[in-house]
Amino acid sequence: MKVTPIIGLEVHVELRTQSKMFCSCSATHFHVEANTNTCPVCLGLPGALPVPNRTACEWCIKLGIALGCTPNLTSFFERKNYFYPDLAKGYQLTQFEKPFVVNGKLVIDGQEIRINRAHMEEDTGKSIHLTTGGQDLTLIDYNRCGVPLVEIVSEPDITSAQMAKNYLLKIQQIIRYLGISDADIEKGSMRCEPTINLKIETDDGKVVYTPLAEIKNVASLTGVQTAIDFELNRQLEEFKQTGEGKSKTNKTTRGWDADKNQTFLQREKEGSSDYRYFPEPDIPYINFTQAEIDAIKASIPELPDQKIEKYKTIYGLSDYDAQTITADFAFANIYESIIIDYIYENKVNDLTKIVGKSLKDLVGFTDSAKIKDLAKFTANLFLGAIKTHLNETSEDLDQSKINSQFFFDLFMAVSNSEISATVAKQVITQSYQTGVNPVEIAKSKGLIQVSDSGEIEKIAKKVIEANPKTVEDYKKNPMSIGFLIGQLMKASNGSANPKLAKEILEKLLK
Amino acid sequence: MDYSTLSIPQIRQLLLDKKATATEITQFFLDKIKLIDPQIKAFITITEKEALEKAAEIDKKIANNETIGKLAGSIMAVKDIFLTKDIETTASSQVLKGYIPQYSSTVYQKLLDQDAIIIGKTNTDPFAFGGSTENSGFFTTKNPWNLDMIPGGSSGGSAAATAANLCHFALGTDTGGSIRQPASLCGVSGLKPTYGLNSRFGITAMASSFDCPGVFARSVDDIATVTQITAGHDKNDATSTHQTIPDYSSLLDSVNLKGLKIGLPKEYFTQAINPEVKAKVLEAAKVLESKGAILKEVSLPSTNLGLAVYYILVPSEISANMSRYEGIRFGQTAPDGSNIISYYMNVRGQFMEPEVKRRIIIGTYALSSGYYDAYYTKAAKVRTLIKQEFESVLADVDVILAPVSPTSAWKIGEKCSNPLEMYLADAYTVCINVAGVPSLALPCGFNSNNLPIGFQLIGNFFEESKIMSIGHQYQQITDYHLQTPKI
Repeated sequence: MKVTPIIGLEVHVELRTQSKMFCSCSATHFHVEANTNTCPVCLGLPGALPVPNRTACEWCIKLGIALGCTPNLTSFFERKNYFYPDLAKGYQLTQFEKPFVVNGKLVIDGQEIRINRAHMEEDTGKSIHLTTGGQDLTLIDYNRCGVPLVEIVSEPDITSAQMAKNYLLKIQQIIRYLGISDADIEKGSMRCEPTINLKIETDDGKVVYTPLAEIKNVASLTGVQTAIDFELNRQLEEFKQTGEGKSKTNKTTRGWDADKNQTFLQREKEGSSDYRYFPEPDIPYINFTQAEIDAIKASIPELPDQKIEKYKTIYGLSDYDAQTITADFAFANIYESIIIDYIYENKVNDLTKIVGKSLKDLVGFTDSAKIKDLAKFTANLFLGAIKTHLNETSEDLDQSKINSQFFFDLFMAVSNSEISATVAKQVITQSYQTGVNPVEIAKSKGLIQVSDSGEIEKIAKKVIEANPKTVEDYKKNPMSIGFLIGQLMKASNGSANPKLAKEILEKLLK
Repeated sequence: MDYSTLSIPQIRQLLLDKKATATEITQFFLDKIKLIDPQIKAFITITEKEALEKAAEIDKKIANNETIGKLAGSIMAVKDIFLTKDIETTASSQVLKGYIPQYSSTVYQKLLDQDAIIIGKTNTDPFAFGGSTENSGFFTTKNPWNLDMIPGGSSGGSAAATAANLCHFALGTDTGGSIRQPASLCGVSGLKPTYGLNSRFGITAMASSFDCPGVFARSVDDIATVTQITAGHDKNDATSTHQTIPDYSSLLDSVNLKGLKIGLPKEYFTQAINPEVKAKVLEAAKVLESKGAILKEVSLPSTNLGLAVYYILVPSEISANMSRYEGIRFGQTAPDGSNIISYYMNVRGQFMEPEVKRRIIIGTYALSSGYYDAYYTKAAKVRTLIKQEFESVLADVDVILAPVSPTSAWKIGEKCSNPLEMYLADAYTVCINVAGVPSLALPCGFNSNNLPIGFQLIGNFFEESKIMSIGHQYQQITDYHLQTPKI
């Protein structure tokens, strides 16, 4: 029996616009006193009418383009009708037939995941169920009602829980690069619902698909992974019991119980619920000109995958380093600004200062070898010393504390062997904290590297004298020179050039 | 002095000349309403306190030599589906009995800002669903010309109040004829403007792509004065027009009747229309012809499809617009402990009037899966055809003249048992709403039972000034609009 998981993901993203999707109430609702950001429109009072938020629509298109989608120059809103207390109007304004963008894709773990669409809709209010004084109550907070949501729907091209997680991480990263949402799953500004089933090829050549299950209430990234794995296993076991294949009427909705780590049946879906969609008569068709679309496209910064490609080809970074630096948009841009400043300053190419320039514009630089060296050097410091410092202090990278000139000077000093790599790590951290040039710091602390062979030889001889046992060991085990190098570095307060130190020791020990 | 027969500018002049105070005028109307309305029952709420407060405000401005609004001193009645802040707004339905809105409709507020004085909220079919005002969840309004007859609907209360001179003008809405039909049955003038001319914000929504707020008055001149104030873009209504609003009052004589081409659509003058009504409407056409207009028979072939299109699309939009009424955030409620669905069914079942339920069910059905394409989509396509027909005929003639109601007012209770028969009476009004064009209803005579008969002048999109000019000139030659019922 061959089992292939088939997973599709529906992602909802709360846009961090100032106002809600259809009224001018504040869109902030996290930790806000209940029912204070409301008005007749988002409360669905009699006679209230929706007026669409242009920025939200533009951001939806922006996100769509970043996901490789094609914008629809004309699109419209529709009413999705159902009854629930936190849905004030008794219908949700969303898009059905003509969403803002369609047909995109993301490549995750080498697999192309097609994106069917991305559209705009409004969020519902929040229902809080509790029991008090022996009575069951539901409290409804309409602050969230009307907040703009982009819904991104993938085709069922995902084939594992890990791939699903990576897909979500990539979408989250792109959204944060665009600055349109916090995309924080714990805070609920990014939500995901996987729809899962299995393709089972039995030993006697039959192909069966298990019934679809949509999983709701997954509130974390690890939760998504765990829930998918659980459900894949559950469906396989159920199939072994029942042999039931998917039909138009047996799709179910299951909730994820994070405490028990299992999915449970919430409701049977009757085919797909009849929401009686029809075009929203209160909002005229929304038209964008090609010029407007082009302007939105131009406003998209270099995206993560493009950056990673650039870092690997032009900057010569490893895949791991490239991925790690680009994980955070601000971090990547600050790092990159140093490289760009270098290019500009050294007139490596006759370009004006450009941050975040795309890959194709940097290809063909002269002296690209120099860029690579600086890029790798800077990357090591960013990912090593600076990141460690930030982790210790729980801070974000502060752009004002990064000085390009400092990095150039340090790079030159290390290239000229005046400062060892070890010392460079120390002084860059101190420079970040104090704002003083790291080379100055090294000088003031006497950490300038000794590359004078004569000086090193003097210390080397002392070290050999002080460690006769290790010298003996060396005759049998050449690796023990490491200990002697270490002693020499110690004796020189880290200022000896370790390469020279090794050479000289080897020479003396011959 | 009888303030109720004066025009809006005349009333304002009285104030400026200090010949009357706003308070005196207001008290006059309050007294008259107390005397006459119990027989007509045009009003659900009489806003005595608010009216006198506003009057006092105006009188204070006059005393201080401050500018007074363009409608200062004029008394307005407001159909009870317009939200009026702090004043009970019921939509004539038990669903909203006791509802005090937290905000006002844009059109209403614009009129308040020009110092119009609200005298009361008028009766209507519930949420404007109906053509006789008999569906009201409270009581039926009587036709001031004959108290056994309906005033028409859904804006029956506003039409009756205007006919009985209980106000200078009244607000209504026209979704399928609900201004023009009661105007004609009550012998007053009423304008259904182009869809989008007046903002719908703050009016309980019936059919979002059909609803047109508009005005009743005894003369076209007063309608022009009021529409000047209400018309124009509202940032709270995404469907409201961005067109510049002309000075309607200064354009009342702008159309040259000589050579004016008037189209008479043959589909509107068939056997289905009562002979006396037909005769009076054709008479009105002849009056205009006597001033040089040219009458021409035209054809609107899709007219017979109008009712079907209307009664599919309108209930569909209604069914969604009515979903917000569940007694949780506002409106009457009936707490039910079992589960959420039974709660909804209980509240909506208990308080919604039969016609309200009827339309919700029809609309839900028309939108439902498996039926959507056959009904809604089809109707939407035919809607476009009807619209194009009007545009094409109006490219050929300058204006279309037609009857409004196939009959004059009928007896209260006569058509109640057969909702379909009620719907059929909308035959001559609905196509105009389906298309979205403007139409002005004017009184043109009486039948042998002394019941009013009206006709309508239909223009192309945003041609309000044209149809009002023709109507104004018609009212210079005739005096039907000056007739008042004896109560």
